[in-house]
Amino acid sequence: MSLTVNDRVRAIATFRFIEVRLMEITAAWTPTTAEMEVKVLFGRHIFDFAQHADWLGKRTFELRKPEQYSLKPAESYVDVIEALAAEEETGKRLSALYDVFIPALESRYRAYVDATDRLLDEPSVVIVERILIDLERMKRDAQRLRERIAVVAVPLPELARRESAHSAIVAPQG
Amino acid sequence: MKEIGFVEEAGLRLRAEPARDEAFKVVRRDKEMAEYDGSGPEAQRESVHRHMTNEITSLDIAAQCLIEFPDAPWGLRMELARQCWDESRHIAALHRRLEEMGGYKGEVPISAFEWQVTCALDDLAGRLASQNRTFEAGAMDVVGGNIREWRAIGDDATAAVLDAILADEIHHVRFANRWIKQLAAENPRVLMKVAMAVRFVSHANQTLQADAGETTVNGKVFEDPHSRIPIVNVEDRKLAEFNDEEINEILRQAGFRSLVPEQVHA
Repeated sequence: MSLTVNDRVRAIATFRFIEVRLMEITAAWTPTTAEMEVKVLFGRHIFDFAQHADWLGKRTFELRKPEQYSLKPAESYVDVIEALAAEEETGKRLSALYDVFIPALESRYRAYVDATDRLLDEPSVVIVERILIDLERMKRDAQRLRERIAVVAVPLPELARRESAHSAIVAPQG
Repeated sequence: MKEIGFVEEAGLRLRAEPARDEAFKVVRRDKEMAEYDGSGPEAQRESVHRHMTNEITSLDIAAQCLIEFPDAPWGLRMELARQCWDESRHIAALHRRLEEMGGYKGEVPISAFEWQVTCALDDLAGRLASQNRTFEAGAMDVVGGNIREWRAIGDDATAAVLDAILADEIHHVRFANRWIKQLAAENPRVLMKVAMAVRFVSHANQTLQADAGETTVNGKVFEDPHSRIPIVNVEDRKLAEFNDEEINEILRQAGFRSLVPEQVHA
């Protein structure tokens, strides 16, 4: 059976929470990152994340919740997001976001599209597919920048393991 | 997560500088900066370099506001996020232009004065009044004149970059004006915060600006601060939704009292 309206809004609101946090994390990294070109990259992507949150937040209103409604993910997944936020070195920040977290988020968005009814929930699907196009571009932006300013990708297996340990990220309904 | 603390400078409690590329030498006083008379190649590159590094500061400030005011209305946070994108593009465009002119980042010393003052303020309306409504509006006045000067010396490429930037800056000032009005309508205490912010900016500016006779690192002598006549970009200030009374006040402060309609003098 496909997702219910309640399942959908909980997933969309959870994705919105994550996009807002990614906006905040890249914003926090901007004044604390020295390299000018990396600041520029974060500055551009702050607005991408904000727009994603905004689109998702308009959709929550169409699914019987307030406009710009967010739902905090499962507590252990919030810890993973905060581990991402805590990275301090530029190379690690780039790898954590663009090599670990965004690819994982893309997989979670694709899983949502696969799980929902593409016709009944088409407004959500259209939003998610637009976000996926953006995320692909953002990864390319980061890769091009790393090649240009010679920042080496840093393997972060522990962060990747912690992220992938979550089969579901939507908090259990209380 | 890394946090940026505070420093004391000349009796002022300012925010410590944000992180800067190691190519840059960061200073705090006008006399530690470089400035060139005329429109020779060094003066041109210094001007573009200064615009570029001011844009880095603007990006840092908008980003920091997103972090330090998570409960701000979503519409205002969207404007700040959009401003981050705009400032990022401005940095990239000015860096590209600087390199086309044979310059490079770090060619002259830089300051993060606007960040140090604005991010020392503890409320968002105050920061909008400082950064967007004062510093960016002031830059809007200056850039309008700069565009004509670049065109006059035949540098249409730099003029085009600044013209595009100016269009964006008008909106940054406009959204600050709109949000300050809205926040003040919801809570009149906001006006008190805005007034305190404006006073702090003015005091910091007077305290840290170069005195008459002091020189830059390359030997340019500063004039008496009171004799420096600011330019006022009336047309763009109107687009940024300053009202006539506010524009007249700015003209009065800039020394154009005789041009201001009589009824506003009273």
